Amino acid sequence: MNARVAIALAWREWIRFIRQPQRVVGSIGQPLLFWLFLGSGFSPSFKPPGMGEIGYLEYFYPGALLMMLLFAGIFSCITVIEDRDQGFLQSVLAAPVARFSIVAGKVGGAALIALAQCLILLLAAPLVGLVPSAGGALLLLLGLVLASVGFTALGFGIAWGMNSTAGFHAVMMVFLMPLWMLSGALFPTQGAPQWLSFLIGVNPVSHALTLIRAPFYADVPHLLADPQYLAALGIAAVWAALCLAFSLWRVGRVEKGVKPSGI
Amino acid sequence: MIEIDQLQHVYPGSRHIAPRTALHGLSLKVDEGELVILSGPNGSGKSTLFRILAGLMRPSSGTVRVGGFDLFKEPAKARALMGVVFQSPALDKHLTVLENIRLQGALYGLSGALLDSRMEEALAWSDVKTRLADKVMTLSGGLARQVELAKCLLARPRLLLLDEPTTGLDPLSRRLFLDTLARLHAERNMTVLMTSHIFSEAENAGRVAILRNGHLLAYDTPGHLRAILGSEVIVIRSAAPDALASLLEAEMGIAKLKRYGDELRIEDVAPSKSLALLERLLERHRSDIVSIAIKQPELEDVFLHVTGHHPDGNEEVAA
Repeated sequence: MNARVAIALAWREWIRFIRQPQRVVGSIGQPLLFWLFLGSGFSPSFKPPGMGEIGYLEYFYPGALLMMLLFAGIFSCITVIEDRDQGFLQSVLAAPVARFSIVAGKVGGAALIALAQCLILLLAAPLVGLVPSAGGALLLLLGLVLASVGFTALGFGIAWGMNSTAGFHAVMMVFLMPLWMLSGALFPTQGAPQWLSFLIGVNPVSHALTLIRAPFYADVPHLLADPQYLAALGIAAVWAALCLAFSLWRVGRVEKGVKPSGI
Repeated sequence: MIEIDQLQHVYPGSRHIAPRTALHGLSLKVDEGELVILSGPNGSGKSTLFRILAGLMRPSSGTVRVGGFDLFKEPAKARALMGVVFQSPALDKHLTVLENIRLQGALYGLSGALLDSRMEEALAWSDVKTRLADKVMTLSGGLARQVELAKCLLARPRLLLLDEPTTGLDPLSRRLFLDTLARLHAERNMTVLMTSHIFSEAENAGRVAILRNGHLLAYDTPGHLRAILGSEVIVIRSAAPDALASLLEAEMGIAKLKRYGDELRIEDVAPSKSLALLERLLERHRSDIVSIAIKQPELEDVFLHVTGHHPDGNEEVAA
């Protein structure tokens, strides 16, 4: 893999992002509005068992961060569909470039965009009383990066080979959104019906959410001694790696003619 | 430079669609420094061949060697020799001209002073030198095509592949683009393989390959191809071509009559006889003839003869 190629492709993603103000407004605005409206609306009635005096604005905050990562990833992947057969990616595919550079460029660029957006939302964290320690901020960053890589690589792998953006939207709504909804982003696992808490438990995105939520509430030595946190870290890392492998496999598969049969 | 040997491509079918063979054991050789035009009606297999050469698809069987490297076994080495201009734009329209070109440089591992000198060289001939800071979406079609070509020249390709590069250009831009291409081809001794179905473009080619239904029907210099049709062609347009055709065959004993849509053609007429034949035709059938002309065979006529396909989409009608 050539790192310079990946960096150049990631840089392109970033430039495209900041040159389309609608995209900036859309992908920051939507999670922000969700967070403010849902958070404020649900706060009075939100009394989860065994979670003390936590307001919904505060509870939903890590979920809103995760939603931002998801949306940034989806927006980036939509371009793949148009680019591959009718645009920019044609010349990338014809160039002597390793396939991993293409995946790394796209996923890296999307992660960069997602982190920049999260940074804006993070400015609001002290308003709901969430202030991580310096070390905690680093662990938070790690969690954000892992979740972003997982989402984008998964979206990329799905988008690659699809030929309509409408089809991708459909897949996103029934596949990627539920991953987020069933992560504990919207509601806590405690008290949920058993089948639902089972789904949340096996959803790797729930573990990514743990990585984002935990650093706000515990300091670094505690986290690194907590088996639950470490397990979440392991699962999220494996999930991100598998998603990368999946999109790499998709990119590596070149459309191939079949053997003539019975002619 | 390119050696295509026994290339076969079958598109996979599905439950309801039978597999479709797009290339039937195609073999073709393009020499170093040659300019070859690949032509053929829609569905002839030229796009399939182009996609395989550009590395976007793998064939069912057969080999392709580019500059001595096997395109499927050593793709990186073979690709490093090639520049590809696709039919649909491969530029990022949100980026400026300069950014697009720099990005291409990164793909081919160019940076620093080397990239700067290569950029100067790749853009020297173009009209976009004053528009480098403009976004590609603000350029005209002709200028965008120039950027596309400049981008490919960056890596100093020894082989340039172009897929109908003049599609969507006005006649003047098309002329400019082709002149530039011919000049670059001559100056840099590049091998050029271009698909096109515009026959005025093929006149400048070293050789023209004509494909139909995945078979190579003809592959020769424009001069030799024209010689296939013999001397001259008489082209008759008629409002009632069927009636006229049978009249001509019965009354005048004209056997080599071909029909494409409302057009009848008498091919291979000796120059000494063509004028007399035309006069006789007019004398007898003036009322049935909308227009009539004697033509020196052009490549378009050869194409028609070889493929039985009128470029306007009319199939040859079996008499």
